[in-house]
This record gives sequence, structure tokens and C-alpha cells, in this order.
Amino acid sequence: MRQWQPSPKIPSPNQQTSPACRTTRPPSTPTATMASLKRSFESDPLAQNISSKVYVRSTKSGKVQKIVREVYLRQDIPCSSRLCNACLKIAPKDAANRPIPFVLSEKPAGTSVFTQGHYIVPDTNAFLSAMDLFEQSSAFYDVIVLQVVLEEVRARSLPLYNRLVSLTKSEDKRFYVFFNEFRLETYVTREEGESVNDRNDRAVRKAVKWYNEHLSKTSKKAPAVVMLSNDRDNLRKAKEDDIPAYSLADYVRQLKDGEQLLDMIPELEERDALIEKKPGQFLYPEYYTLSKMNTGVKNGLLHQGIFNVSPYNYLEGSTRVPAFPKALLILGRENINRAVDGDLVVVEVLPKDQWKEPSTQVIEEEAVTKNENPTEEGSDLISEKERKALQEEAKRTLAKTTEGHALPTAKVVGIIKRNWRQYVGHIDQSSVSSSAAQGRKQDSVFVIPMDKKIPKIRLRTRQVAELLGKRILVTIDAWDRTSRHPTGHFVRSLGELETKAAETEALLLEYDVQYRPFPKTVLDCLPKEGHDWKVPASMDDPGWRDRQDLRDLLICSIDPIGCQDIDDALHARALPNGNFEVGVHIADVSHFVKPNNAMDTEASIRGTTVYLVDKRIDMLPMLLGTDLCSLKPYVERYAFSVIWEMNSNADIVGSRFTKSVIKSREAFSYEQAQLRIDDASQQDELTNSIRTLLELSKKLKQKRLDAGALSLSSPEIKIHMESETSDPIDVKTKEHLATMSLVEEFMLLANTSVAAKIYEAFPQTAILRRHAAPPKTNFDELANQLRVKKGLDLSVESSRALADSLDQCVDPKEPFFNTLIRIMATRCMMSAEYFCSGTQSYPEFRHYGLASEIYTHFTSPIRRYADLVAHRQLAAAIEYEAVHPAVRSRGRLEAVCKNINVRHRNAQLAGRASIAYYVGQALRGKATEEDGFVMKIFSNGFVVLVPKFGIESLIRLRDLAEPEPAATYDAETYTLTTSGSREVKVELFQKVKVRVTDQKDETTGKRGVKMELVSTY
Amino acid sequence: MASSQHVLLSPAELAYLHASLSLTPPIRPDGRSPTQFRPLVAETGILPGTNGSARICFADGTEAIVGVKAEVERTRTRHDFPSLDLDEGAEDDDDLDDNQRDVVKGDNDWVEMTVEIPGYRDDDAGTVFLSAMLSEALLADGEFTKRLWINRRFHWKLYLDILLISPPLSYPLPLLSLTTHLALLATRLPRLKSEGDEDPLFDDDWAAAPYLYPRPTGKKGSKKAASAPTARPPVTLLVMAVGNNIIFDPSKEELAVADVALAVSVGESSSSSSTTSTSSSKPTAMDLDTEETKGHNLRLLSVRTIDPPSRLTPPGIPNASNSAYGANAGAKDTEKKKQQQEQARTAESEAVEGVWKAPRGGAKPLVMAALVQKVLEKGGVADEVLDALDGVDLN
Repeated sequence: MRQWQPSPKIPSPNQQTSPACRTTRPPSTPTATMASLKRSFESDPLAQNISSKVYVRSTKSGKVQKIVREVYLRQDIPCSSRLCNACLKIAPKDAANRPIPFVLSEKPAGTSVFTQGHYIVPDTNAFLSAMDLFEQSSAFYDVIVLQVVLEEVRARSLPLYNRLVSLTKSEDKRFYVFFNEFRLETYVTREEGESVNDRNDRAVRKAVKWYNEHLSKTSKKAPAVVMLSNDRDNLRKAKEDDIPAYSLADYVRQLKDGEQLLDMIPELEERDALIEKKPGQFLYPEYYTLSKMNTGVKNGLLHQGIFNVSPYNYLEGSTRVPAFPKALLILGRENINRAVDGDLVVVEVLPKDQWKEPSTQVIEEEAVTKNENPTEEGSDLISEKERKALQEEAKRTLAKTTEGHALPTAKVVGIIKRNWRQYVGHIDQSSVSSSAAQGRKQDSVFVIPMDKKIPKIRLRTRQVAELLGKRILVTIDAWDRTSRHPTGHFVRSLGELETKAAETEALLLEYDVQYRPFPKTVLDCLPKEGHDWKVPASMDDPGWRDRQDLRDLLICSIDPIGCQDIDDALHARALPNGNFEVGVHIADVSHFVKPNNAMDTEASIRGTTVYLVDKRIDMLPMLLGTDLCSLKPYVERYAFSVIWEMNSNADIVGSRFTKSVIKSREAFSYEQAQLRIDDASQQDELTNSIRTLLELSKKLKQKRLDAGALSLSSPEIKIHMESETSDPIDVKTKEHLATMSLVEEFMLLANTSVAAKIYEAFPQTAILRRHAAPPKTNFDELANQLRVKKGLDLSVESSRALADSLDQCVDPKEPFFNTLIRIMATRCMMSAEYFCSGTQSYPEFRHYGLASEIYTHFTSPIRRYADLVAHRQLAAAIEYEAVHPAVRSRGRLEAVCKNINVRHRNAQLAGRASIAYYVGQALRGKATEEDGFVMKIFSNGFVVLVPKFGIESLIRLRDLAEPEPAATYDAETYTLTTSGSREVKVELFQKVKVRVTDQKDETTGKRGVKMELVSTY
Repeated sequence: MASSQHVLLSPAELAYLHASLSLTPPIRPDGRSPTQFRPLVAETGILPGTNGSARICFADGTEAIVGVKAEVERTRTRHDFPSLDLDEGAEDDDDLDDNQRDVVKGDNDWVEMTVEIPGYRDDDAGTVFLSAMLSEALLADGEFTKRLWINRRFHWKLYLDILLISPPLSYPLPLLSLTTHLALLATRLPRLKSEGDEDPLFDDDWAAAPYLYPRPTGKKGSKKAASAPTARPPVTLLVMAVGNNIIFDPSKEELAVADVALAVSVGESSSSSSTTSTSSSKPTAMDLDTEETKGHNLRLLSVRTIDPPSRLTPPGIPNASNSAYGANAGAKDTEKKKQQQEQARTAESEAVEGVWKAPRGGAKPLVMAALVQKVLEKGGVADEVLDALDGVDLN
């Protein structure tokens, strides 16, 4: 606090020496005319309550501002301990004038040291390094989260902050947020030369001290308030000030059964530890300073992008930066420089003579670094084996003089943002020393993450024996320059490898699917009537306002077998003028989920329902998804209807949108509907209307294909389960029925109509879905492969041209060939994405795959959040309800789009991974010989797709025979010829016979399929 | 805001004032000695949002506030500008020393000064002139803008807002200059954390921000520390001559009878070598410098003559030509009239003892030299003013 001092008058410096030069009058002169303009703290009785913070803020645009903030300090912030009566008087009151109940228990748990009970005050560092610890249910109750700590956590890691906030909201954990920065006694001003971190640490210590003093007034045996920190410096200073403080490890040892928690604690942080090491021990180059990176990026000398690792070669990464049309390659450990898949990195392009071709070789970390010892660090950055692998690579590049193929390479010079999350993996058996498997001493082991793109993580644990053979969750703590692998700590065990529960949870964690049960706040948003909710009988009910009564229409739904969340229903009827009225009725979810309530927030975070083989993780609570919103047959339901008038050529004559009440007559499965259509004896009105729909849908489809819509393919299979145990017993490819495309066509039509409508109403903020045209270079490889191997041309100028040329890609001898090409073409495409219409220009709205100018998702609001937003926008567009700010704010919509794009992708990946797992389980113990196709070829292996199971797998040279046969790879003709122990010639697109068995993949611990080449056709 | 504001003094009063200021020693209306400043009160840091600010209040009621704001600005690249080299590391520094470390240079565009005088437009000639004088003093030796250099690509742009917040009761130049001086002394710029030519990155701790004019580390206010040779921003002093007397910090009335008025800007340089360039013509300047424990390395930065308002004052009429005293009595024919006119002319051009007559002609070089020398005198007024301002708490 700055003390105001009376402004000094100009003193007279040398009155004696030169009396003629007096500069000041005698003090009697009226110099006091000027009162200071500064706040006088002496005269103000409340002065001590006012402080100010002065700091320098640098904005993104490069501006530097001095910021002065006044801080008003108060004394009415309660300590929130139930022991404290003094604070009860000043406790804030709720609307009903009842004091808000205090959080911290009057009888907190004790430890071996604090037998009288204790409250915990963790510092920032403790939360950042061991959030998992605080989420334990066995300990860590009555925690005081200081405001300064909460803010620091937020600045450092948003995911951790969110977890901390949800902890503070949970009632049973008793976490209390204490606003120490506003309480007079606990406020500290930054001292001169003190770093912000030091100041905040001091604030934590001061708060702990205050709490102890404050509580000691309440009773003689008041609970102790203990600071937890993992920062040595902070602990030392606390000791000096006589403040009870422990490191996480020391604290956990005081707890009962604390031993088990020890593994979750990272090493004590030592700030100076690194400096002591000799420079020679650094394995990786140092990162640039932040300012250097910023300057470089701004000037185009460095580039910023997301770092991706090749799924086939862990030493090859790439990053896409705006300055280059193709991704920059990052090869080798040293150039990758501790970047982990997903990090936001800054790279520097290497000189042209170091440009390389992307690898044609499969390099798996496990195979190359098998015998590394986790306790000792090799002094070389690159192990002998890795070097060998790289050298072979280099030779190959040199052998080919095709310099034009070389791609620009780059090295990572810094990391802007780590994207580390928790990783699922298992302990590498071979890294466990024999002594560790028994004893309880801390030991270093390697954890092999399930995701092959993540490097091995070094883990220190005491429970090696227990954790072996289990799926475990770990986090990365750090990756020092001196350590070849990142170091991490154990979070929790998911269970035995290959048990369904563990594997499913692993999958959900890996794809960041929110699978926890809905919290109470969300369930509170459901209608009170529960399952008894009904459409109000009285038409005067507000629920009926502006709702059309469509209960007399013959509406039915067609869905897959066993579908519970029925989003959509259809009807068609002939009009007197010879045209048809066709209606698509979508569950009116937006009636039940109001914007910005807890349920809406939860749904927007989940983004989508995730379908696994045996499990569905809902976006909305069951009550809504499978009952109240679901358009079940025979009951009245609220719906949002799109109704067209069409002529017999399926041209739209008119369309309208309305909220409605419907009563579905029947819920068909695709198969049932198909049977009913095919059965000529069924001549009832409902069946005939389905037939009308089918006719119209065929015309719609033709129109769409004429416009250039692509018919793409991905291997789709279905897993049959044994009904009792739900163990998979068989795998079948999905059949395609005409009724499927019936539903699909009308859904596409509804989506397109709605997209046009909401775009018209909200040109800036409509939520739409686009599918960007893929860059032509994406198809280069595939086009070349087709030309070389099959003499076919792939033209990619437009979606129409692509659709036509895909139709031409047929091999008369092999009907599956066309599907194979479609699968491969699909992988060259961009992924479709949600966006907010204001962020793109109209031509960019185009949906490439559907050849539609504008498109959105409207038809599945139960399982997709984007549809729910579209519903709200459409409701506002037809003036059914007022525009809610949430559907009008572009910034918010952009954030929503960004999130649901990620969630959507993750949901797909999780679904596929689930199928892959079950295929593995279904094949367990069986060995079958199946036909497959070579779809990718490397110099030391090739990838085979087996259509029957929809699986693909890598067959390495060393899998062909023992010893590994020599091979020559001709990249020009995509041919791999082996010689020696086994002689085969494998070409791209070739049909092969493979033996499919199940095998536990040692690297990922996943049971998956293993293929062996039986013969080539 | 011209120096020649309306002076509401009659010729007789002017004549009296002039006479009393011409005495040895002069008698000033407010009883000050010739070199004495009007008492003032000063404080700094009154505007928390600025990089530096100060406020000075003279006892006559005039008051000024100066705020200094700094912004990072990209330096315009010149064609001969060396390209950005990120790899410039510590090892290259030796080679760079000769070529690039000397590159530190400033540009006058880096300072923007606005002067605001209540009641006057900002494009008023007087205001513009004031602003020109103040910035001229600041930019004269090119040393000031060098302080704003960050690296070869960036510099600080300094905005000086100089506000007179009272009516201009006297010519505000000295007040504004002193306030600006104090504000610049109090100005701090965020501490640079980045190196070389990177985009600048600054320490977020304001307490760590260094002063634009680094202060000696000794105790503040102690005379010894204050006298240590450190660079200071310039001050512009107003000096006037009446007859043989040199009078500092003239009030409005005194200025109204000035024969010559000068605005003399002096600066203090940190290195003693610059003393040679001071216009202090005494060969003993160097010796004095070494001997005297306190004393500033003063150097003359600029001199401007101010058009004193005395020039526009109406002249007094000698009795000889005043008709009220019968000078014209009985004159009827044109011959006489002509004679009278001639008489009147002589009366206008020739000084008559006790009758006010506006000074004519420019300042004589000898008078100018004397004025300047008086300012720069060791232990003289400028010295004292600087010392006195040193005593102001800069926080």
C-alpha cells in the first residue's frame, strides 16, 4: 500500500552560500493552496480496506498496458467452518434470508499427526500435479480451495479447473472456495522484485496462517489447517513461518492406507534440479523462448500447428501449417523434440537438403525399443536399433533420385500448448525387473499407452505386482530434456485386461466420452411427472400454444431393430389435386430442454450420444431420450414437423414447418417395413402410404445422385450377441434395405429444407453442416495407384466427376473392388463439420458428399446437440418462440460447433473401436480363412482388409515366415516381392486369402485380430 | 496562449515597474530576489494509469498536470535495415557489438506532445509555440529518443499530455516545463524480458519497471545522491532582462516591461565529457566540476526569444506632447500642426525619463550571452531548480 506523503516544497539548497538565489519563500507563504490529488489514506477511515494492484498487461496485438486495479477488501467473507460462530453472523444469505450453510465439517477427519482433525489447503501446484488424488473417495475431505489457487489452476489448465470446480460443487467432498484475495486479513500485495508465483504462494501461506489463528479462537481443540504443496521452496518458507505444511507424499503417508495413494503423486518439484545437470546429459534440444517463437511465427520464419504422429511410424510426425499446402514432416526423436500427439507446437523448416519422403516403412515403438531399461537412461538420444531403422529409411530415400517427391521436413522448436490428457495403457511386462514384481519398493516401469501415437511413459510405482496385467490410467507429468521418455504417474486401475468393463471404460476414456451418470442438477431439469408425463388433454394448456394437431395423420416410424430413442416418424397422403403431402416429424426435444439450464449445458458438453456395441452413452437422460421425447407408437407426443407438398415427380411444391402433436400408429423396424411393402396382400392405408414414401424416396435419391452426390462406403458390420450373456457370437456385414434409404432420403430432405429456412432467418448465426471439397492432392496417391495397378482414371474435379469415375472403378471379376475403392476414397475426404453460418461465405456451405448447397442436422435431436440447436433456431424462425440469446450469439455457437465436431468424431472412433474389440472377442479361439484385399503397402509389410468382418490389419514381413524374408519394394508399381524363407509377391488391391485369428496385441494389450497370409490369388 | 496577453497596466504603471526593476538590486513587485522562483508545490504519480505523471502548482494559482503514456510501436523499416535474424545468440554478440549495438537510435516521431491551455484552441499560435519549445528542448540533442529504443524493430512511442488546469495567469512555459520534467523523471517503462530483435515481451511486474531516467541507487532525497551525475530531462527556464538586471521566473506583470525575454532550455548529461559542449564559456567550468561536490553537468539545449508583451503596450505620452498640458495650446495653422506631429514622433522615439515606452528592436547579443550564462552558472538557478526537483518523491 502506498502511503501518501505531503508534497514537499522545493527546499532551498544553499541559502548561506548565495543568499541572492533563494528559491523558496519563508514557510509562511501560502503554499498549501494545493491539496494533493492523490487519495489520502491518512484521512480516510476505510483506507485499509482499499488496496490496488498495478501490473503490466501485454495484449495479443502487442500492446503493453499498465493496469491499475483497485481492490476493495472486506471482512465479511466467512471461513465456512461449522465450528465458527463468529462467521455465521456475517455469512451471506440467500433470497429467503437464510444463511447459506457452511461447508467445512465440524469434525473433520484426522491424520496420524493431526489427531484433532484438520482442514487441507492445497496450493496450485498440488492441484495441478495430483488432481486425481483430491478426487479420491477415501481421503481428502474438508478442503479449502483458495481463490488465488483456483484462478491459477484456471490459467494453467482448463480441464483441471473444470474438475476442481465440479469438486467444489459436490456436496459430500466438502470443498470450500475461500475468497482470500478479497478478505482484508489474507490479502497480500506484491513486493518489489517478487514474482507473481511467489506472491501467490505467499498469499496461500498467509491464508493458512489466518485460518489457523481464526479457528483457534473457536475452541481449544480446533482442527489444524494444513497447507499441501509439492513445491520445496514454498514448503521451506512455510516452515520458516511456522505454518503447518507438508508435501503431498508426506501428507499421504499420514493417512490410513496412504501407501496406495503414493503412486498418484509426482515427484517433489525442484526448480533448480535441472541446472545442476551437465549440459552433455541433455538428450533433446532446448525449446525457444516464447517471445522468440512469437516473433518467428509472426514473421513467417517459424510455423505453428498441431502435431500429429503417424499411426504406422511413431518416429514420424507431421504438422499442418497454413504456409504450406501439404503437411510438414517431422522425422526422428530429435526433431520431434518431446512433442506428443495433439500438442500445439512451433516448428522450423529444415534446409532443403534434409527434405525427405514420407516413410514407406512401419516402425513400431514397441518393436524397436523393446529392451530399454526404464530405470537407467541411455546417454544416446537415439538407440542403436532406432538408428538402424532410420538409416534404412535414409538409404531408400537416397536410392531414389526422385527429388521432386521429397517433402519439406521440420523440427519442433517449442511447444505452445501441451494437449496432454490421461492415457489408458498397461505396464510393459518386459520393463519390470524381477525384484519389483514382488517388493513394494518404488520402481520405474514403462507404460505402453493404448494409443500407438503416444510414446511410452515412464512410471514410478510401488504396486508393480498389482498393476501388471491391468488396464491403467496414467497422466504425463513432464518430459525433461534429460529423459528419453516422458514421466508420468498412475491415476487408477480400470481392471483386468480384456474384461468387458475395463475395456469399455478404457475406450470411453481414450475417446474422452463423458460417461459418468447425469448429476442431480441435470436430473432436476426433467419434468416432475416423470414417465407419467402426457401430452395435456386440454387444448388450452400452454403446451398446445401454436401447436398443430396432427394426431389424425397416419404416422409411423422406421428404425433399426430395438431402437428405443425414436427421433423421427413419417407420413404421406395423397392430396385431392394429385400431389402428395409428405411429413417428417421429429421429436420435440427443445420443448423439454430449455436453453442454458443444467441439462442443456450437460448435453452441449456431451454433444452426441455414443453408441458402442453393447452400450449406449446418452446425451440426454433416459427419461427424455427413450420415453418422453421418443416418438413411440400409440401414444401422443410433441413433435416438430416438416411438411411438404410434392408432385408425383418428387418436386417440392410447398413446404412448411410447425410444432405439432402426433400419434404414431406403428414403430417398424427396417425389416418389418420392408416385408410389409413387399407383401402385396397388405393393402391398408398405412402400408400404402409407406409405399408412396418409398416411391418418392427413390425419385429423390435419383435426383441427388444426378446432382453429384457421392455414394461412399465404409465397412459396416453387425455383431450378433448371445442374448443372455451379451457375448458376441458372430459378425455379419450389414444388409442394405430399401427402407433404409427411404428414411435416409426424407431425413436429408428435411435437413436441407430446415437449413435453408434457418439460414434465411439467421444469416449470421444459423448452425449448419458443411463438407468441404477435398484438396485435389488428397486423391493424388489413390489416383496414381489406380492408374498404375488397374489402368483406371479417377477424376476429382467435382463431386459429380468423382461419383462418375467411382462408378467406373469396377473389376468384373471382383465385385468388392468397387467398394474397396469407395472405402479408400472416403478416407481421402475431409470430414464434415458443423459451423456457424457467419464464419463462412455461402459457397463454402456446400456439402460435398451430399452435393447439397446447404445442409444442417435437424432430425436426431435426441442424440445430437447440433439438431437441438437447429430446433431452437427453427422455432424462432417460424416465430414459435422468442430467439434465445444462446442461439443468437455467434461466439457461443462457434464454441458449441467446435465442441460437437470433436465429440462427433470421438463418438465415431469410439464406436469403431468398440466394434473392433468385439470382433476380436467374437473370433476368440476360432481361426477362419477369409478373403481379403491389400489396401496399403509398405516396404516391410502390408495392410489387408477383410470385408466380411470389416477389419483391417497389418501383416509384417516378419509375420510371413521365420526368419524374416528379404523383400524388395517397388514403390512405382506398389509391389512387394519377398524372397528367401518365403516367396510371395504382394500387390496393391490384390485379393488374398488370410487366416484370421484372435491375438492379444502385446503392445496395446488389446485383443484384436491377427492375420496371416495363406495365399495370394 | 501568447506571451502577449492583455496587460491591464497603464503606461504610468509600466514605467514605474520598469524603473523599479532596473534598480540595483531590482525591486520586484512581489519582493522576490532576481533569481528567486515563485514557491511551488509538486507531486508525482497522481495519475495511476499513466507511465509517469506529475503536477505542479505555483503560488500564484497556476497549476499544470502532465501525464506520460508509452506504447510499443513497430519501427518503420528502412531499406538498409538488416533482416531479422533469430539465430543471433550469445556467441554472435561479439561481432555484433560494433555494428549493431550502436544502432540504438531514436526518431523525433517517437514523441508526441500535446499542450492544452484552457480557453485556447489547440491550434492557437501560442499553444503551438509552447509545444514546439517544450518538444524542441526534449529532442534537441537526440539523446532522449534513444531511451525509447527497444530493439531494431520496436520502440516506445511516448505521448506527453501537458495540461494547464488553471487559467493562464502568467506565461505558463516554466510551469509546463517543470511539470514535464518531473513527469518524465517519474516515468517508468515495463521491463523488457525478450532478447535481441524478438517481438518485445515485458515483465508483468510494474514494480520491476525501470525508470526512463534511471535514478542513482543511493537514498532518495539525499543531497549526495542527487548530485551524482545522472542524466535528467531538460528544463526550460524563462529569463528576462530589464536594463542591466537579469530576472528569473518573471510574473505576468514583470514580463510586461521586459526588454528581452528568453526561454532557455538546459539539460543535464550523465557523462562529464559533455560539459565541454556547454556554452558555459568560463574555462574553469571543468575545474569547477571536479572540485564542487554538488553541481550538474548542465548543457544548453536551446534558446528562444520570447516576444514580450511589453512591445504591444501603449506608450506613455511625455508632457511635452500632451495637449492636456498645453502642448497644443494656440496652435492653429497648419505649419504649427506639422511641427507638432514631428514633435510627437520624436517623443515616441526618444526616451523620456519616467515615461513608458515599449522596447524596440531585438535582443542584443551581449544581453543574450549574459542571460544564458547566468542560467548555466555553476550553482546557479538551473542547478538549484534541478536540485529542488530532485527532492520530489517519485513514487
